[in-house]
Amino acid sequence: MHLLELKNVHSGYDGKEVLHNVNLCISEPSIYVVLGPNGAGKTTLFRTISGIIKPQAGKVLLDGIEVFPSKEIRRKMNYLSHHNALPEEMTVYDALRFYANMEGGNPDEVLDLLKLRDLKNKKISDLSQGQKKKVSIAKVFLREREIYLLDEPTANLDPIVSKEIRDILLELSRDKIVLYSSHNLYEARDVGTYLILIKEGSVALFDRISNIRSSKYRVGIRANTDISKIVDAKVGEGGYYVLSVDTPEEAGLILRDLVNRGVIVTEMRQLDNPLQELFDENGDTSTAT
Amino acid sequence: MSKDETTSSSNSNRRDYGLIIAKRSILLSKTYAIIGCGLAVFAIFLANVSAPLSGLNPGGNGSGGINNLGSTSGNISAFYASSSVVSLIAVPLMVFASLSFSMPVQLLYVYDKNNGVLEYFLSLGMDQADVYKGYLKAALILSSVLLSLEIGLNALVGLFLGANRILLVEISVLALAISLAVVSFVTIAMMAFSSLQKQRTGSNQPLGMGLGVLVVIPAYVLPLLIPSRALFIDLVVALVVVVLALVTFLLSSRLIKREKLLP
Repeated sequence: MHLLELKNVHSGYDGKEVLHNVNLCISEPSIYVVLGPNGAGKTTLFRTISGIIKPQAGKVLLDGIEVFPSKEIRRKMNYLSHHNALPEEMTVYDALRFYANMEGGNPDEVLDLLKLRDLKNKKISDLSQGQKKKVSIAKVFLREREIYLLDEPTANLDPIVSKEIRDILLELSRDKIVLYSSHNLYEARDVGTYLILIKEGSVALFDRISNIRSSKYRVGIRANTDISKIVDAKVGEGGYYVLSVDTPEEAGLILRDLVNRGVIVTEMRQLDNPLQELFDENGDTSTAT
Repeated sequence: MSKDETTSSSNSNRRDYGLIIAKRSILLSKTYAIIGCGLAVFAIFLANVSAPLSGLNPGGNGSGGINNLGSTSGNISAFYASSSVVSLIAVPLMVFASLSFSMPVQLLYVYDKNNGVLEYFLSLGMDQADVYKGYLKAALILSSVLLSLEIGLNALVGLFLGANRILLVEISVLALAISLAVVSFVTIAMMAFSSLQKQRTGSNQPLGMGLGVLVVIPAYVLPLLIPSRALFIDLVVALVVVVLALVTFLLSSRLIKREKLLP
């Protein structure tokens, strides 16, 4: 198990501070979702942790060793930028081999892992944005490392490929620390175990996602009959009957009541994402204990 | 592969990193390479157009070089001096040729910076010095390749035409020293220019060529004005450019900041 620590870290560019007094302590292999509005400092956080930029103050430590001065420590991390970082004049295979030559690894293995065999001989410049993203992710998996810093890994990917990537990350997180930034709050809720919320360069929240609750719950129900006559619900988004409850337990009671009345409920889901409220300036970032 | 073998292999491949950059540069842009080859051919022509004349000296054995200036055979010496000057003017042309041949490296540097490739190199544990020295090495590799061909071909043609051998050596040594120094200076200056700009627009290849021309222009113009001092002028230019190159190299880590390698 590894220990990643940020102690009183201030970081930024050209003397301008983007991250202010960031303190984090991460040791459990898991997926840590990094959320934040545009310009909050997510990319700067990843660059600082990976040693790409030096903290203006404070320290980033991995297993007690400062990251920035140590090339050996920096090589224990894999970083995926939201830029593809691909030599566009090369074919997919040549690009992977280019990076494999620098850091080791087997291009054929990652071609199979990311299902890129069909694109092997295609030039990077001829690929779609989604395909480039896949190749960009592939290069990160050339070498196994201890920490993975992935900046929007599923951006520009179709739902099927996004799911494949998420499945790979879930498998990876069994014994690796994975920091993962995303603007997709539903994906973040499904994949992540922990949430790191960055707002205006500071860590506003660091907690397990399961501890984060919405202040209100809206539930969507599909049924074989009009349930608006039975419960206080209106047809709303996505064709669901939408009703508001105060707690998840109340939703369970409503479901039982409907079933007892002979209603066949075909689907029931929470329509709100508790993470969404964290972006709402007036929202309540309450956590349940 | 064991961990030690992997580390050793990676280190070895990082040493070849400059060579890989050089190959990528040529694939990226062939235009500058073609211009460089054209200039090289013209330089060889200019160096040898007066070759039969440069072989003359009052002693008649074709090996006196321009040391024979001031001999009693004034007309032949003066004629010899003029022909040597013409040959020596080929030196800055050879410099321009090798500089042009190395220009694609600057193009690739900006390309890689904007694509995030340089950022990824930093994430692999490389320092900014490791990164930009790879591009500098690539530029020197490319210019050396053309220089070797230029010097070799020039020597062959010159010997065939009976040119003065000492003059051939002078041209070769001057071209080598000035070319490598100019390429080094211009490459670092352009990467620094890209690094220092507030708006990250990248290095400007015509500006790089212009800088290279400016630095070497005295070697082009002054020998024509003062033919008796042509070799001395070239030596001074070589010394100045070598000093410039060394100074920029020593200051490179300050000029090319880490943050500016990021897209």
